[in-house]
Amino acid sequence: MAELTLDDVTKVFTEDDGNEIVAVDDVNIDIDDGEFLVLVGPSGCGKSTTLRMIAGLETITSGEISLDGRRINEKPPAERDIAMVFQSYALYPHMTVRENMSFGLEESTDMPDDEIATHVSETAEMMGIGDLLERKPADLSGGQQQRVALGRAIVRDPEAFLMDEPLSNLDAKLRATMRTELQRLQAELGVTTVYVTHDQTEAMTMGDRIAILDDGVLQQVGTPLECYHAPNNQFVAGFIGEPSMNFFPMDRRDDRLVGDRFEYELTAAQREAVGDADRVTLGVRPEDITVDIEGGGSHAYDVFVDVVEPRGDENTVHLTFDRGVDEPETFTATISGLRHIQAGEPVVATLPPDSIHLFDAETGVALHNRSLETTEVTEQLT
Amino acid sequence: MSFGTSTDEETETGPGYPLRRIVLYVTLAAMAAFYLIPIETGIMTSLTNPSSYSGQFPYLPPLEPLLSGTGEFSLQPWQNAVDLLGQGLVNSAILVIPATILSGLLGSMAAYGLTTVSWRGQIAVYVTFVAGIFIPYQAVLVPLTQFWYNVVPLRTAFQPVTVLPFVQGYHWKLVALIVTHTAYGLPICTLLFRAHYKKLSDEMIEAARLDGASIYRIYRRIILPLSVPMFAVVFIYQFTQIWNDLLFALTIIQFGDASVVTQELVGLGVSQSGTNFPLRMAGALVAALPTLLVYVLFGEKFAKGVAA
Repeated sequence: MAELTLDDVTKVFTEDDGNEIVAVDDVNIDIDDGEFLVLVGPSGCGKSTTLRMIAGLETITSGEISLDGRRINEKPPAERDIAMVFQSYALYPHMTVRENMSFGLEESTDMPDDEIATHVSETAEMMGIGDLLERKPADLSGGQQQRVALGRAIVRDPEAFLMDEPLSNLDAKLRATMRTELQRLQAELGVTTVYVTHDQTEAMTMGDRIAILDDGVLQQVGTPLECYHAPNNQFVAGFIGEPSMNFFPMDRRDDRLVGDRFEYELTAAQREAVGDADRVTLGVRPEDITVDIEGGGSHAYDVFVDVVEPRGDENTVHLTFDRGVDEPETFTATISGLRHIQAGEPVVATLPPDSIHLFDAETGVALHNRSLETTEVTEQLT
Repeated sequence: MSFGTSTDEETETGPGYPLRRIVLYVTLAAMAAFYLIPIETGIMTSLTNPSSYSGQFPYLPPLEPLLSGTGEFSLQPWQNAVDLLGQGLVNSAILVIPATILSGLLGSMAAYGLTTVSWRGQIAVYVTFVAGIFIPYQAVLVPLTQFWYNVVPLRTAFQPVTVLPFVQGYHWKLVALIVTHTAYGLPICTLLFRAHYKKLSDEMIEAARLDGASIYRIYRRIILPLSVPMFAVVFIYQFTQIWNDLLFALTIIQFGDASVVTQELVGLGVSQSGTNFPLRMAGALVAALPTLLVYVLFGEKFAKGVAA
């Protein structure tokens, strides 16, 4: 168990034709002892490369990675005392579950055989695969293989776990179960864990903190709620949350924002936050938009329902300012699943001033995040 | 099924034996006959009296029993063939078994080093391996003789080994042939193993590296056990190639006690009084038996390897 530090870590790949591609650009992350950090981002953002550099499977172009205060840049993977779980599970197909789990201890320690056998049996029991020890991977279901892969990592009792999209090959239901189980397991073992995923739900639900990468650049590191409610920039705001945040490009006119379809009056604090930026992007999360049959007010707009997606607990409503257009521009709002609303209906959508985010249209940097004063999560975020 | 009035369509969908199936079986039977008749002919010929050989169709059972006058069959030509080829069979075995194992093992190691382990310049090395496949045998015959007889003093170097039991002075020629065949088998073996190793999961090898296994241990504990089907393919291929080779044997062994079975077979049953075809046929079948045996032994694994 140890803290893991990434200090200005950069990875540059050189292609055959001499072109250089920066896969990871100057990433700094401090991961505390026993912390569960989720690295998340769209595919090709450099999250797997980062993980592979920590594992030692990829060289580090510049910067430093240290584990427990010791620089590990030059250490071969075998000497880093790190265990990794792969997306494909990467089990050894010709070995039984027991042999798969013993392999690491046999290769990396001087532990006597009987001690290895005890460790393997104990870990297998803990993972609920005690009765599968003599089977080959091909005879196991995907979920069982996943457990073996986890067990193989756990049995080595490493300083840190690295997980590369370990749940993405499971079906949705099993994935949800394993998500909870993994969290519980990690908390029990207290091993520093770096978990890579492209799935923002996994990131939100599993991590103590999440680190969001885009195009090799670290966008934000923070608790899930920080990233959700106080995003550093428009990318984070759009990536975290499902359905994602609505964005409206707006122009600044004195105390108001003017868009193609509507105008939005700013509060004094918001005006100050925007400063002298001319063009801003207004962001608002779907669940913050209220939808009423009728009404009015300074931040209420007459819109039409384009499509309703019922989810049972809630409805995702696609709203539009343009009626009767074939493929209208829409924004989404989520409303209670018990409310009945129909496509084509005229409704009034309110964008409450205390829940809007404002981003610089040029740089995407957050100028103003939603107010949390009236909510219960305030304490967690300070 | 009605009498000849049924159309093709009815035949296919109707009960009984659809026409398509009959055609299939007839074709299969014809193909089986096509492949088996030469062998059957060989067996029949090997049982025929040399004097009555030319008087009948070779694929029919002998009209006149082998031991004329007694009315009995005899496996005398087979017995004679084994006696006459004995030395050659032993020499071939001494040659083929080590050469096959060596070329398979070295090919697998080379392919592992050139595929799974990544290092700078490996493609260039691999290309030289592949180029080896295209060097015509004829082009190297003279250099090969020069190499083993004049450049490498293998004959004298081999002398001290002859004190060991069963080792004869002439065995140095077989050693030379083993090395030659191993070297010539390497490119194709490497190619076959490389194709196999490219399909292995990179993540699995990386998992083994993280598990603390060295390059050698990964080969020994992961790659080698997963190569078994490909070894069956390579063993069958190399065994047949080397066992059947005559050109290199003629070049390196030339003549003498070290002659392998293919060399002995050339002169078997040939004399001034004519050609003893039954003896030659029996000899050919005896010489072919070991390759057949290897197919039987590795056949199942071979099928797996080819399908993989």
